[in-house]
Amino acid sequence: MEKVLDLARANSIWPLTFGLACCAIEMMSSAMSRFDLDRFGAGVFRASPRQADLMIVTGTVTKKMAPVLTTLYDQMPSPKWVIAMGNCAISGGPFVFEGQYNVIEGVDLLVPVDVYVPGCPPRPEGLLEGFLKLEEKITGTRRFPGPESRW
Amino acid sequence: MVESIKTELGAALQGVEIAEANYLERGYHLSLEVASGELLNAARFFDERGFYLAAIVCVDYREYLELVYLFANHASLCKVKVTLKVDPAKPVAPTISAIFDCAYWHEREIREFYGVLFDGHPNMTYLFLHDGIDFYPLRKEQIPVTDDDKRALGSFRPGEGEDTFFVNLGPQHPSTHGVLRVVLKMDGEYIEEAQPVLGYLHRMHEKMAENRSYLQFLPNTGRMDYLGPMAFNLGYVTAVERLCGIPVPDRANCVRVIATELNRISSHLLWLGAYLADLGALTPFLFVFDDREQINDILEGITGSRLTYCYFRFGGLYNDVEEAFIAGTKAFIERMRSRFSLYEKLVGGNVIFINRTRGIGVITKERARKQAVSGPVLRGAGIPMDMRKTEPCAAYGEMDFDVPVGTRGDALDIYHVRIREMENALKIIEQALARLPEGPVMAEKAPKKLKPPKGDLYHTVETPRGELGIYIVSDESDKPYRMKWRVPSFSNLMIFPELAKGNLLADAVAILGSLDLVIPEIDR
Repeated sequence: MEKVLDLARANSIWPLTFGLACCAIEMMSSAMSRFDLDRFGAGVFRASPRQADLMIVTGTVTKKMAPVLTTLYDQMPSPKWVIAMGNCAISGGPFVFEGQYNVIEGVDLLVPVDVYVPGCPPRPEGLLEGFLKLEEKITGTRRFPGPESRW
Repeated sequence: MVESIKTELGAALQGVEIAEANYLERGYHLSLEVASGELLNAARFFDERGFYLAAIVCVDYREYLELVYLFANHASLCKVKVTLKVDPAKPVAPTISAIFDCAYWHEREIREFYGVLFDGHPNMTYLFLHDGIDFYPLRKEQIPVTDDDKRALGSFRPGEGEDTFFVNLGPQHPSTHGVLRVVLKMDGEYIEEAQPVLGYLHRMHEKMAENRSYLQFLPNTGRMDYLGPMAFNLGYVTAVERLCGIPVPDRANCVRVIATELNRISSHLLWLGAYLADLGALTPFLFVFDDREQINDILEGITGSRLTYCYFRFGGLYNDVEEAFIAGTKAFIERMRSRFSLYEKLVGGNVIFINRTRGIGVITKERARKQAVSGPVLRGAGIPMDMRKTEPCAAYGEMDFDVPVGTRGDALDIYHVRIREMENALKIIEQALARLPEGPVMAEKAPKKLKPPKGDLYHTVETPRGELGIYIVSDESDKPYRMKWRVPSFSNLMIFPELAKGNLLADAVAILGSLDLVIPEIDR
């Protein structure tokens, strides 16, 4: 039974409309006509965390934003997943330097992260691959052969 | 203009020495130093003569803090730098927010980053930084925030009246296009007061600039305004080239114009889609992304990235353009021309859209000047000011294009200005392609390690959102001593509270969208 539910979850991921910075534009691009996130059932972006089950952290998380982000995460109903999109969300990215005072060096310090998508910003294909990885994590099987198998 | 201002200023401010500066090197015509008692007189003088306050910059010279007030004029090219020295141990300066409304925001910013107290300022709470920061970030030495200051600063806490309540628009709200937060004091459905709270994406760009060399800072420019990174790139490289006196080959200048204008179109397209989505029409979003992808393809071919471009270098370009780029751009111009009529049918002639935007957020010329708005918002208000015309950099001086202006200054006018600006951008690209000369794309004598001569520079370019001003202070080392970014979205946001007042909440979204804000640029 749980397996069937997982299959349903993996094929209808509803992401939260949570644009932080530059990566948000690439997130929009991946949802639009050319890359069409809807092919994987993940095109229903919800503006309210109560209706979403995936949070894509698209950009730099600052110390002022951190409490907001954790609140949003807490408001999402379980089961829920997090994709850290872009170098800023993964590790602070280019904004980490000695004496920095405002950037959280990685969103995994705040919430548990399931998939990391590197890039500055990642291409929409990168985010799609992230979605496939997340589906793989949920169901245990991969929708397509991975990019590695081609080479 | 410069001469007459100099004589009048000399008469108005007795005993103040007015120096003429080399405009080509410094970016301003006159500079004067005033004492704190005379600052208000100087501000009033410029206000009476129709100047606007472009920016207030604070520079920490260790022995003293210097406040730099940059005044400019919409009607003619005349820029004046007024400086005021304050004591770093107990920094106090008079506020000019009663004369120029935009100073209200600049002074708040300086207060939290430098600790300068502005005497008589109505609200000195935190604008950018979070509660609990215990030093002034942009001071050269680490100065702790005193307890008194902490109490005075604090973050924004709204007070509540009997019949009013508060609505937080943002930081997580789909129509603030990022992480802008506006606290709205509501009386039923009507807005009584709007108070933006910024800094949810403050990424310390100005602090980073002081910590790295000129070249190392170059990628940051693309991340500041991710919708128009070419224009920010262009502003930064032309500023540094002006500071160091690096010549740029003709071909590079032409390609710069083409790339920047392509980027301008893609930025305006995204604004169009997002604005209509805010107003409830989701279809245009799909259409504009279709066009945007074409531009992304063209620019990806030369820059290697889809979004945060870093294509220009000091003295030229990263690499040359090839035939595929030129053919692709020509094909795009053809395609885009035919799309305008589609947008006109889909959006411009749509009764719902017209009724939602007409008469909403009306900006008068006087208010536009006092709040120092710029770009399409300013032109929508009817002031034909475009940095590409008044202070042309790259090859803009040789291009022939119109500066579209509005008549009513409402959100609908701003929409029309942006659409016509896209048409003009196509015109510019066509001209630049036609006169694209052969030759190198990199100056032969571009130095590897930049050490600009001592001095300061205020350089402006027109970005898709308006006037970008870069104020650089060089101390002959390879790192900038101070780099201030006067960003267009920050200045355009300042006018929002007065536009929103008395309007419905749904209209506030329509006004906010028409300003076309990019949050990382506001927060820097």
